[in-house]
Amino acid sequence: MSWHVDDRVWEAYADGRLDPAAEASVETHVTGCADCRTAARDYAPAAAATVWTGVRETITAPAPSALFRLLRRLGIRGDDLVLLSAGDSLLMPWAAAVGSAIACACLVGLAGLDAVNRDAVFLAMAPLAPVLAVVVSFDALDPIREVTAPTPYSKLRLALLRAAASLVVALPTTAAIGPVIPGMDDFAFVWLAPSLGLTLGALVLLTWWEARVTGALVASLWVGAVVVVRTTTTVDVLTVPAAQAAFVAAGFVLAAALFLRTSTLRIQGGEQ
Amino acid sequence: MTAVANLVGVSKNYGRATVVRPITVDLGPGIVGLLGPNGAGKTTLLRLLSTSLPPTTGRITIAGFDVAASHANRVAARRRLGYCPQEVTFPRGMTAFGFVEYIAVLKEWKDADARHREVRRVLDLVDLVDRSAMKVSKLSGGQRRRLAIAQALLGAPDLLILDEPTTGLDPEQRASLRGLLSGLAGTVLISTHQTEDISALCDRVLVIDAGVIHFDGTVPELLATAAGRVHLGPTAAIGAVQTWKTGTGLVRSVGGQPAPDSSVVDPSVEDAYLLLRSGERTRQGVIR
Repeated sequence: MSWHVDDRVWEAYADGRLDPAAEASVETHVTGCADCRTAARDYAPAAAATVWTGVRETITAPAPSALFRLLRRLGIRGDDLVLLSAGDSLLMPWAAAVGSAIACACLVGLAGLDAVNRDAVFLAMAPLAPVLAVVVSFDALDPIREVTAPTPYSKLRLALLRAAASLVVALPTTAAIGPVIPGMDDFAFVWLAPSLGLTLGALVLLTWWEARVTGALVASLWVGAVVVVRTTTTVDVLTVPAAQAAFVAAGFVLAAALFLRTSTLRIQGGEQ
Repeated sequence: MTAVANLVGVSKNYGRATVVRPITVDLGPGIVGLLGPNGAGKTTLLRLLSTSLPPTTGRITIAGFDVAASHANRVAARRRLGYCPQEVTFPRGMTAFGFVEYIAVLKEWKDADARHREVRRVLDLVDLVDRSAMKVSKLSGGQRRRLAIAQALLGAPDLLILDEPTTGLDPEQRASLRGLLSGLAGTVLISTHQTEDISALCDRVLVIDAGVIHFDGTVPELLATAAGRVHLGPTAAIGAVQTWKTGTGLVRSVGGQPAPDSSVVDPSVEDAYLLLRSGERTRQGVIR
């Protein structure tokens, strides 16, 4: 070789200051000159480090999913999305909500029950669909409860955020059951008030127990209560205005209990 | 020395069982090792300090904040600590980056760019930055352990609480973790069964058994409690706490009456710990 790339040219090349013809000349020369290939290593790191940092930052921060991007466009904060979309903690409760609503609709609509028993089955199942979604949402992140307990983030806000994310799908899907089943009429919406009380009750119990235990307990108590009522009379006693008002009032009491439980010094899920 | 954490008369009962008896201790800057057998109350003590558990009696202060005084105090204390429990079961579907970022949000890293930089920093500290995009379920046991430690390092806390951090790590990873911990500022409290970790890393040792701190001092002070009481000889010492035949054919005896022709050897932290546990205690050091 009659010439070699000097320091000044290498610096210009690494900084991207050479014109395209000079850049091509350097590259052509380097392919045939072992000395210049060796010299290139002295200049590559500075430029490569910048590129490599960018590459690392891109691949280590996983690209947001389509759902993440959609929710972001709807105005949900980025840090809230991180909490909501961690692992399977968003899709699983949504799947549970849709699945339980479909199961409820099938059972109520296709089992051939008379009107009294159909209403009882509907009232036993429909209020539990939102509870199931909330419980599944908490169950997805239960394993790291001991890691998250000593963090400064408001446990009340976290609980409400996760519950709201579950209910945003659970409530409309459950509400869709009534209109698709013939003869439900006004009865299609009487599940809302009990569901409010049961969901808040579940959120309070989640501060003591694991999600699965809480879900099983709330479901057992509610189904048991409906069965007891049905064996003595019709479930209409649970749908009269006084009963509906009592469910709403219980919801307010449980909301206050949730505030107290999440602001006192104890690990959520109980002392393990 | 300014204490980062203070425990005054702190105890913990589960029902009628007392797991931690009233303890008063100050934790200043440096690495403090908590040594004790299974069921000694180590994990409960760490949970109390991490604000995960309320004490039955006593007062816990972290960075000047009495954690039981108010919710605001507790939140302020939590902003200054990092906690890695003994076992972490990771949720389904999470990546390494996603897990640490989730905890970062709970530690109030609101700005996405700053949060991502911090997540990469702690993953880099535990040598997992190249595994960031991997699902946690695909990581090895040692990598998961390091991931659990990484979340505790977020924000360079004043008080870092690590429960059995070296469990599941191979010797190279353990040495690497020691290097990392020894370079940290603030107070590091580690619970461990590994006496090598104590001697290699800790400025101070607390030996706990049955919920009571039996020793509080430096590693040399702990070793001094066993000075002249570990022997190497042709036969075992009478009434020794532990004896074993070494590779040279001689028998190493911890405590007891040495056999004739035995020679005194330097004790290890393990020897001193065994003697403390045996109840064969001296009045040396600061055994309490």
